[in-house]
This record gives sequence, C-alpha cells and structure tokens, in this order.
Amino acid sequence: MTEPTTQPVAAVVAELLTKRYGSLTAIEDLSFTVAPGEIVGFLGPNGAGKSTTMKILAGTMAGTSGRATIWGESVSLNPAAAKSHLAYMPENNPLPDDLRVEEYLTLRAKLKNVENKDVQARVEKVMIDCDLIRRAKGRLIGHLSKGFRQRVGIADALLAQPKVIILDEPTIGLDPHQILGIRDLIRSLRGQMAVLISSHILHEVEQVCDKVVIINRGRLVAQGKTEDLRRELLPNAVFKLTSNTPLAQLLEICLQIESATKIEIQESLDGGWVRYQIAIPTSSPIRENLAAHLIKAGVALREIAEEHYGLEDIFLAATRRTTNDGLKN
Amino acid sequence: MRHFKTLLFHELKLALYSWNTWATAGLFLTLMGTIYWFALLECSRSPQPWTHVEGTFKLFWLPLLCILPLLTMRSFSEERRAGTLSSLLTTPASIAAIVWAKFLSAWITWVIFWLGFIPFTLLVNLRLGSVNEQRLSDPSVLIGALSFIFMSGLLHVAIGILCSCLTRSSALAALLTFITLLGLTAAGGALESLPIESWTWLGWLREPASHLRTFGHLQDFAAGVIDSRPLVLYITGNLLCLGLAVLAVEGQE
Repeated sequence: MTEPTTQPVAAVVAELLTKRYGSLTAIEDLSFTVAPGEIVGFLGPNGAGKSTTMKILAGTMAGTSGRATIWGESVSLNPAAAKSHLAYMPENNPLPDDLRVEEYLTLRAKLKNVENKDVQARVEKVMIDCDLIRRAKGRLIGHLSKGFRQRVGIADALLAQPKVIILDEPTIGLDPHQILGIRDLIRSLRGQMAVLISSHILHEVEQVCDKVVIINRGRLVAQGKTEDLRRELLPNAVFKLTSNTPLAQLLEICLQIESATKIEIQESLDGGWVRYQIAIPTSSPIRENLAAHLIKAGVALREIAEEHYGLEDIFLAATRRTTNDGLKN
Repeated sequence: MRHFKTLLFHELKLALYSWNTWATAGLFLTLMGTIYWFALLECSRSPQPWTHVEGTFKLFWLPLLCILPLLTMRSFSEERRAGTLSSLLTTPASIAAIVWAKFLSAWITWVIFWLGFIPFTLLVNLRLGSVNEQRLSDPSVLIGALSFIFMSGLLHVAIGILCSCLTRSSALAALLTFITLLGLTAAGGALESLPIESWTWLGWLREPASHLRTFGHLQDFAAGVIDSRPLVLYITGNLLCLGLAVLAVEGQE
C-alpha cells in the first residue's frame, strides 16, 4: 500500500464519471472535487444518480468510464489504498442485527487498519462522540432504534479517522434532536476530514456544508459555494410589498428607479390594497434602499420585505434549468 | 488476504452464537445417531460384510445433502440481502480474505459436527467393549472415514459457499447446493455402478469416472489407502469454487 507523502490538492476527485446499465445511463460525465477538510453537500432529486456516484467513489460499484480518486489513490486501480483513506456510510445504513454495538465497532476498527493497541480507545471515543456509550454500547444492533442505528453507522465512519467520509443520507429517519446532534457532529469534522454528504434536507446541507454539488438526471448542473450559486442561478432580488398604488403607476415608478424591474400581482387584499412581487437585479444599486425610493416617489407602503433565497430555491432553479434544457432538446 | 484472521475469528464467533448452527448441529447428531443405531442393529442381527462404523459412513451422503446446505446457505446470501456485504467491502479487507474466512469457518464447523459423532462410537465401545473377543470398533476405520469426510468437505463446503454467493435468497442457495452436491455424489455413485469397462464406446469416460468415484474414495480412506488423486481432486475443486466465489462477489458489487 502506498501512502502519499504530501496532502493532495483534492481529497476526492470525480472526473468524467459515467455509469450505464445497458441502455440506461445513471450518471454521465460527472466531474467535481472535494478539497481536504471541506464539507460538501451532494444534492439531486430522487433517481438523479447520487447513490450511484457515491458507490463508485466508495469502490463498491465499478463505473463504466471516468476516473475516481480518494486522497490521490485511484479507486479502481488501487482500491485497498483508496479504501484505507475512506469511510463510507451507505444509504439505509445496513448493519448486522446479531452483533452488539461495541462488538461491531471493534470488528470494524480492526478491519480498518486501526492499530490493535488503539482499537479499544478509538471505539470508546467514537461511542462517546456519537452518544452511544450510555444507552447503546452493549445492546444488539437489531434491537436499536433508527436513530441509534444511524449513530452506529456514523461512529463506524469516524472510527479510523479517515481522510474522507462519504455519508449517503445520514439523517434520514432521525427526529429533530438527533438531526441537530448529527449536524453538530459533522460540523465538528470541518478542517479535519473531507466530507461528502447527500441529503434531502436542504436546510441541513446549507447549515453544514461549505459547498454544494447539484446533479440532475445523472449530470452535473451546478457546483460551488451557496452564495456564488445564488448569484448565478437567481440573478434577481425579489421583494414582497403591499401597496394601494395601481399596478401601472407602480410599474412606471419602478422603471424610473430601475429599468430592469419586473412586477406581478400576487394577491388582492381588502380596501384596495394589493400584494405585489417586484424583482430587480441583485447587482442593482437601489436594492439596499428600494423602500426609501418608493416612498420618495409617493408610493403608499403597508409592508415591504426582501425574500431570502435558501438552498431550496437554488436547488429548484438548478434542476428546473436542466429539466427545461432537456425538454427543449 | 488482508484481515483474514480477523474475519475468520469473527465468522467462527458468529457461528458459535448463531441459533442456526446449534439447530443444524442438533439435526446432524440426531440423523447420525439414527443411522448409527440402525447400522448397529443390522450388525447385531446377522453378520455383515461391513462394520457398523463403515455402514454408518456409507450413508455419509445423507448429512452431506441435508445438513451441509443449511450450514453454508446464509454465508453470503444473507449478507447480500441485508446489504452488510457492501459495507464490508468498503473496508480494506480483500474479497479473497472474506471468501476464505467464510469458507474456513463453515469447514471448521462441518469438521466439528463430524467430530461430534465420535462419542457415539466411544459410548458403544464403553458399553459393549468387545464381541467374541473382537473389538467392536476399529479406530482406524473411523479415522480413515473421517479423514475422507474432512478432505471431501474442502470441495463440498466450497460448493456451498459458491452457491451462497450466487443469490440473495438463503433458501435458493441451499437448494442450489443440494442439487450440485446430489449431482456430484450421484455421478460418482452411478459411474461406479455402471459397467463402463465393458462398454467400448464409453471408453473415454473410464479415466474421468475413476476420479469421481466418491464412494470408492470413502472405501479407500476407510481402508487406510491414501491415494493422491482424490486429494488433488478435492483441493483443486476447492480452489476452483472459491476462485469463482471471489469472482461472483466482485461481479455483483
């Protein structure tokens, strides 16, 4: 087994990864990287190819073409070396029901090349970190709740202090308290390990991840920091305002302030009040003081607020864009 | 063969704690006890050309076909069904180590089952001692027959492991093992009983048939004749089956 002497530029490299099942293409020419110590969210609708990509990176499935490396080691050419840097928690987290938690973690530590003298200490450490030590240590895995099973999976992933952790839906089936716990745990790994995490809970990914990779229909549709993606995919700032000024007059005023303004009526309220949605370019200088401009122009305002775009909006915009492209093609 | 020792101890421990193993052991000992009882009964009624131990081992195919599939059926199929094989493959343990650990664990369990038969003969010897100043049980027959079981077990257990690799269903794995072992044993038995020597058009079959005569191997071993040909057959068969099992696991993941 060859140990790279220096830290590689990227902890995970997926380069033009393609996986085909006969005529069905699960992923195509997928390329992205995860830097050492970075936490990356891997997003996509159901059937987008997230689990397939993760399986290829983890070495449990062979890709049709492309290159995958973990900490500089090729997953296909040097699987043992790649696996020695990697921990992977698959979707649904399969665990042997007939082993006790401590017994299972001890076995996994040995299989993951943890030194014999360190096995006990590492097992204790991850059981403390994942809050298993008090209530689950000696219990059969088959008797554990979903939340505890997920914790056992994450504890297993942390055992050998790998350089890279791949977690496929780690918080699925957990209650809000457990999700918070797991989120804090993952956040604590920042800077120590590269983490690639797939989740359907976009709020959670936004809270935890430095970067997101979004795929749809097996193709990469966006990747980068949330802020950058927001700018790229959602170029307009959207305001919700309630006013009794008629649409035509409001539009005229707005166009005088910012020529690229778009307005639409959202809802007509009692007493002649109307709720409008106004979109102006994010880069527009009036974005910061739109309310002041409107009041100065004589618009009566009952309320005005800028909509905050979350990762959910970015995700929807990115996947919608590719779906529309697909339909056009 | 990274982590072979760790995996082997784990498999042996699992086998020890599994109700499946204990139930199968109970079934095996009941079956062997019954066969032994009837063999003893036959020998006590009238003189036989075989001893009661030989008579018992002549029916070795019964536990082979009924018990061995139960022992090997869950080894891979259950792990594949539960998905734990995939997570095992994400560790640096090699597939060959996993296959060999599962095989050796099943083979050791199979050997222990058969060693459990020895107390039957000891009990009979202790109770009856000798008949007409002749020892009731000749230990050399028992040692020779058990050596055959252990040696042929290398191939038979490997077949069970290979069948378990091919499906997610334990029941189907057991059925596949049963059919394969039945074919192998019956082919050996049938070829032995056919007058191939007198059929010139089947002359080409003479050589391969001589290698497959399973019951002949048992007789040779029980008589203390150690022929290298069956040893080569069982060892190469074992390597072939386990090699195919490694490929099957690689191909499926």
